[in-house]
Amino acid sequence: MRPTAIALLTLSLSSPALVLADTSDGSALIGQDWDTIVEMARGGEVNWFMWGGSDTINRYVSDYVGGVLMDDYGITLNRIGLTDTTEAINIVLGEKEAGVTDAGAVDMIWINGENFRTMKQADLAWCGYTETLPNNVLIDWTNPAIANDFGVPVDGCEVPWNRAQFAFAYDTARTETPPRSIPELLDWIKANPGQFTYPAPPDFNGAVFVRHVFYHAAGGVEGLLGDFDQARYDAAAAATWDILNEIEPLLWREGATYPTSITQLNGLFANQEVAFTFDYDPSQFGLGVQSGQYPETVMSYGLTDGTIGNTNYTIIPFNSPNKAAALVLQNVLLSAEAQLEKALPEVWGTVPGIEVDRTPAEIQAAFAGIERHPSVVDPAELAQNALPELQAGWISAIEQGWIENVGR
Amino acid sequence: MSESLKTFVRLAPTLAVIGLLFFGGLIMGLMRSVNYMPVIGLTEPNLDAYRAVLSDPDFLRSFGLTLHISLTSTILSAVLAVGSALLLRRSFAGRRLATFLFQLNLTVPHLVGAIGILYLFSQSGSFARLAHAAALIDRPADFPALIYDPYAIGIILQYVWKEVPFIGVIVLANMQAIGQDYEAVARSLGATRWQAIRHVLLPQIWPGVLSASVIVFAFTFGAYEIPALLGASYPAALPVLAYRSYTDVDLASRPEAMAMAMVIALMSAVMILIYTRAARRRGGR
Repeated sequence: MRPTAIALLTLSLSSPALVLADTSDGSALIGQDWDTIVEMARGGEVNWFMWGGSDTINRYVSDYVGGVLMDDYGITLNRIGLTDTTEAINIVLGEKEAGVTDAGAVDMIWINGENFRTMKQADLAWCGYTETLPNNVLIDWTNPAIANDFGVPVDGCEVPWNRAQFAFAYDTARTETPPRSIPELLDWIKANPGQFTYPAPPDFNGAVFVRHVFYHAAGGVEGLLGDFDQARYDAAAAATWDILNEIEPLLWREGATYPTSITQLNGLFANQEVAFTFDYDPSQFGLGVQSGQYPETVMSYGLTDGTIGNTNYTIIPFNSPNKAAALVLQNVLLSAEAQLEKALPEVWGTVPGIEVDRTPAEIQAAFAGIERHPSVVDPAELAQNALPELQAGWISAIEQGWIENVGR
Repeated sequence: MSESLKTFVRLAPTLAVIGLLFFGGLIMGLMRSVNYMPVIGLTEPNLDAYRAVLSDPDFLRSFGLTLHISLTSTILSAVLAVGSALLLRRSFAGRRLATFLFQLNLTVPHLVGAIGILYLFSQSGSFARLAHAAALIDRPADFPALIYDPYAIGIILQYVWKEVPFIGVIVLANMQAIGQDYEAVARSLGATRWQAIRHVLLPQIWPGVLSASVIVFAFTFGAYEIPALLGASYPAALPVLAYRSYTDVDLASRPEAMAMAMVIALMSAVMILIYTRAARRRGGR
């Protein structure tokens, strides 16, 4: 029964791909002449699975990036929105299990952190191709914050897209002076019960907030860098859960429940149920004001004891049938023009994943001329107090620990 | 070719799709739930995932919550549906309009209904704003917590809103097919109106009410989207818990996710069994 079912499944999945040139063989593409790759990709399609919770990001990808791909290369970009990146990894994993090695449904995923570790752990990524991309020269692989994804070496298995650093946001019309550090925030919560909450991990942003408290409880991030260490974890975790359980009755809804997503927290903030929200991507606050979700009095800010920063990437699964088109897509994403467009506050306003000083002079000038949305904190100012991400082992342990010790 | 064979051949494409996709998925899920997943190195089948899930207090609490959501929604919907059907079968001016309005939200998707409930009943929703305008409350937190609440009031509200017309339409059709003659006879023999309903009408519509209710119960027990949108962070409804476990970054927790899914599937299977027995009873009369 099983081999028949798999054969049928494989057949049904592979038939549409057979119509066009099959570019599933990654090793044949590596080191290939770029023009040849572009010709192989021309007229094809590429399925990009990415978190779909932001209309502006979706518009940039579908309209701008999709437009460039169609106009310059005749490639159709299918953007598949996800609420959780793990969904895409589950698809690739299921395909690998069913023996689908060259006709997968996923050609590219927007990814970082634990999900990247999972892809590497299960051998789901296509690696070693980055040198083939012409725009690879714009990437600073000597920067450890780019060559390591949450402490896991990238090893040519993905390419950077954006950089991001966590920031808080408040409404100047409602809150006079926001707390500028984790200890100040904890005091503020005690003085203003019911006005703060955070999304329950495993929500991405909620988990980052918990890590800020974890760093604070551990007396700084220095002792947490490197491989996961049970003894050091236990010491810091106990203090973290004490802090979070102590403030729990003072949170929104007396801590009886937590928002389950950052979207929910943003909604509570917009409806004035809570005084703060936060995001790993501070440009979201400017976009929120532009779309009318937040009033113009909303401002974002960093902490004096630092906020966590990361790089996010795009990855190509081992079984993507459209690797040539995926390479062209990655090269477009890395291009100076696309990174500039993405940096415009009305488009997205995110920090580039490439080195701006390696781009042509006119692009550099355009970058320098970008006027930040007034609600978005200055990335340079934010970067003065940047904290590193931990290795994935720490992150899973903290999320699990929160669910067991605080969430239930 | 005999008549039954012909019918079978005609049904074959449908059966093949159901068989392959449904049972194929079910079998894959079952294999994963017993820790058989060669792709990540799990080749020795065992029942560890079931043992872990069934002894996990989180799972048991989620199971209890889901049972509460399904039972409460189903009973409330069935009672309201029978009551509405009794009113709607009478003849009165504007009956057509009333029946149309009654059935209207059958066409509205569950998700849309959930967003509507959210906008109306959340602590910063329309009713909270009205209450604030009427100076009944000072702050959003003063409005009673009906969404994301431990008793799943928001979820049950949404299900009742959606399922009352579903059961109601079935029961109404049932009542109209039966007609009012039996009740009229009972009344003529001295039964009160309530006695006629209780002892004559209800036994006749009972199998219909039961089978519609079983469908509602099975659906609400396995549905993900409404508890995901309107539920509290803890405890989560069973499908939400299973999904969270399925999207856990740790691949080792996939078997537990599948074990939970199998428990949900088992509950639905039991419901289908009850349904077919009820349907057979109805058909037998």
